[in-house]
Amino acid sequence: MNVPGAGVWQKNPSLAWREIDEETIIISPSESVMHELNNTGSFIWRNIDGHRRAEDLATLLTEQYEVTQETALADTLSLLQELSARKLVVAAEVLQGGMAR
Amino acid sequence: MTHEHAILESGVPAHVDLLIGSLPLRLNSRDSSLLSAASRRYQGFQHTENNRFSIEVDRHLAKHEESDAFVCDFEGARVSANSRHAHFSGVHHEYALDSLLRMFLSWALLPQDGFLLHAASVIRNGKAHVFVGRSGAGKSTVASLSPQGSVLTDEISLINRVNGEWHAFGTPFWGEFRADGVNTSAPLGGIFRLIQSSGNCVKPMRSSELLKSLLPCVLFFSSEAADHKRLLKILAAASAEIPGYNLQFQKNRSFWEVLPS
Repeated sequence: MNVPGAGVWQKNPSLAWREIDEETIIISPSESVMHELNNTGSFIWRNIDGHRRAEDLATLLTEQYEVTQETALADTLSLLQELSARKLVVAAEVLQGGMAR
Repeated sequence: MTHEHAILESGVPAHVDLLIGSLPLRLNSRDSSLLSAASRRYQGFQHTENNRFSIEVDRHLAKHEESDAFVCDFEGARVSANSRHAHFSGVHHEYALDSLLRMFLSWALLPQDGFLLHAASVIRNGKAHVFVGRSGAGKSTVASLSPQGSVLTDEISLINRVNGEWHAFGTPFWGEFRADGVNTSAPLGGIFRLIQSSGNCVKPMRSSELLKSLLPCVLFFSSEAADHKRLLKILAAASAEIPGYNLQFQKNRSFWEVLPS
């Protein structure tokens, strides 16, 4: 089954982003649009590295916050899906020209 | 005449030397009318500095070079630039020149940790107070309610880190509040987001809130990701190091009373 948000993701390399006050501000130069991520969104964003799967990110989330694996995975998939829709992340295999794993 | 000013036999300057922020510039052109217009328009910003950034200005629209690091078009005119030289082409009047100069500066200030902001800047007690907001927010109103000679600009502020300290500089870019350009600077006392209100109130902002307030008001025209990353790094540093405030203000001089000294 193809789960939205599942897979391995990479930050879109064309973006500019900074963490400040535990928030992340992301700028898309091509659209001149500003995106914001809250504390947990910033944590996930920080750990998106082109290698970790959604499950890996969710596990990191459970280690950092008091949340079950099930809830963490659902939140992670939801965020990845939204980030993908906004073209803030791209599938890692697209960037690397092949499967990430 | 206090400024170095090479004059051709006809009385038209061969070039116009400017200092905007910490950036020395030399406008060169074979078009005497454009240079004369620039000389008049930027009179308060003419200066003698070495290591000037050379800018060629002409009416003919030119192709840009592969080596250009910054290229931007505006209404039939084009600015193209590398690290030491720029070309403003397709310039038919001083307003196009002025627009290209703003676009160029937004890029050329990056290596100096500088940026242009839609904001009014006013010096008070030796500190620059920067009032940020989009059109209609009250920038010109604030400028008009400030003591004569204290206004650096009512439209485009230049913020630059100098020796580790943030400064606001006067610019030759003005809005409704017309005045002679004031080419001076002062250490930054604070950045105030303008909110028109029936009362005066000032509240500190978190760094992230200040950054989000600044971003929509920054002038920036590069489409290069590396330039945007550099800009965001500068803005994040500025937001963390400069006090930021939300300023609810009435349209009279009383708002000065609530500003932190």
